[in-house]
Amino acid sequence: MAAGQLIFVSGGVRSGKSAWAEGLIRETPAKRKVYLASGRANDAEMAERIQRHRDDRKEHGWHTIEQPLQLERAVPQIAPEDAVLWDCATTWLANELYEGWEQENPCVDRQDCMEQKWSDLQKTIGQIRNRTKLFVIVSNEVLDDFIRDRTYQQWLGRIHFWLVDQSDQAYEVENGVAYRRK
Amino acid sequence: MHIVFGGAFNGKRQWVKKLVGNREHVWLEGKLPDETAPFVVVAGLEEWVRAQLENGMDEQRIRNLVGQAVCKQPFNRQLWILTDMNRGIVPVDPLERQLRDVIGRLYQELFKRAEQVTRIWYGIPQTIKGADGHENLHENR
Repeated sequence: MAAGQLIFVSGGVRSGKSAWAEGLIRETPAKRKVYLASGRANDAEMAERIQRHRDDRKEHGWHTIEQPLQLERAVPQIAPEDAVLWDCATTWLANELYEGWEQENPCVDRQDCMEQKWSDLQKTIGQIRNRTKLFVIVSNEVLDDFIRDRTYQQWLGRIHFWLVDQSDQAYEVENGVAYRRK
Repeated sequence: MHIVFGGAFNGKRQWVKKLVGNREHVWLEGKLPDETAPFVVVAGLEEWVRAQLENGMDEQRIRNLVGQAVCKQPFNRQLWILTDMNRGIVPVDPLERQLRDVIGRLYQELFKRAEQVTRIWYGIPQTIKGADGHENLHENR
C-alpha cells in the first residue's frame, strides 16, 4: 500500500502551530479526525485542561487517543480512512526519556533504552503513515536557546531531522503563519 | 564570507562538511583563525566567546578580536558556523545573560559583513542573504 502524506509542523510555544496543524486535518476528506495526544496530567490543573481540550475536540468531531508512552499501542486504534494528528513529539520525548524516574531509574540512565524507543517510534510512524491518508506531526522549537538538557535536546534534534527528512512537507509556524520549508 | 546559522542539533556541521567536500581547509572548533589557510571553517564561536567572558574580557575587546580574525583570512575563503541561542527565556546566570547579549550583537556585525548567509533547519538550507530573491525561501534551493 502506498504511504500516506506525512507533514511535519513545528513552532515555538503559543505560535499557533497546533491550531494550524488541526486545519490541515480538517481540510482533508477522511472518515475520522484522530487526535493522538502525548500530554499527561501531573496535577489537577493539567487534568482539567486535558479534559477541556478533549471535550472541545469531541464537539468538533475529533476522536482522541491518549498515548503518553508507547505510541505503538495506538496503531490498532487507527483505521485506514483516518486523518491523524500527533501532538506532540516534544512531549513524547520527555515522557519516554524520563520514564521510570519515579523508581529513580529513568530511561535516560538505562543502557540503549532510548535507542530502542527511538527505533520503535520510527517503526510506529511508518505504520501510521502506511495506514492513513494524512499523518501530521507537531513539535516544538526549543533548540534556538542555551543547552539546558543536552541529552534531551540532542535527541530532539535527531528526531526532528529524521521527521523533516521523511516528510512530504515541513512547516515552521510563527505567530499563526506557516512557512513552508520543504 | 559565508555564514551558516541555526539552532543547536539542526545539522549545521553536517551540511558544511558536505559543502566543503574534499576542498583543502582548516576546521576550527571554539578558536579564532590566526593564520591564513586556503579555506577556513570557524565553528563553536559561542564557546570561544564564553571562555573569554569567563576570563573577564570585555565585549569591545571580544568584538575587536573577532573583527581582526575575519580580516586575517581572505574574505571569500571563510565560513562561520553560528549557533542561534537567543530565542529562549532570559537566563538566570548573569554570565549567560552577558553571553547572549554579546553573541547577539556579534552575530549582527558578522551577518552585515557576510555576503552569504544560510540558515539550516533540520538539514534544510535557506539562503537568507545573497539569495536569488524568491519570496518562498524553499524555492531558492
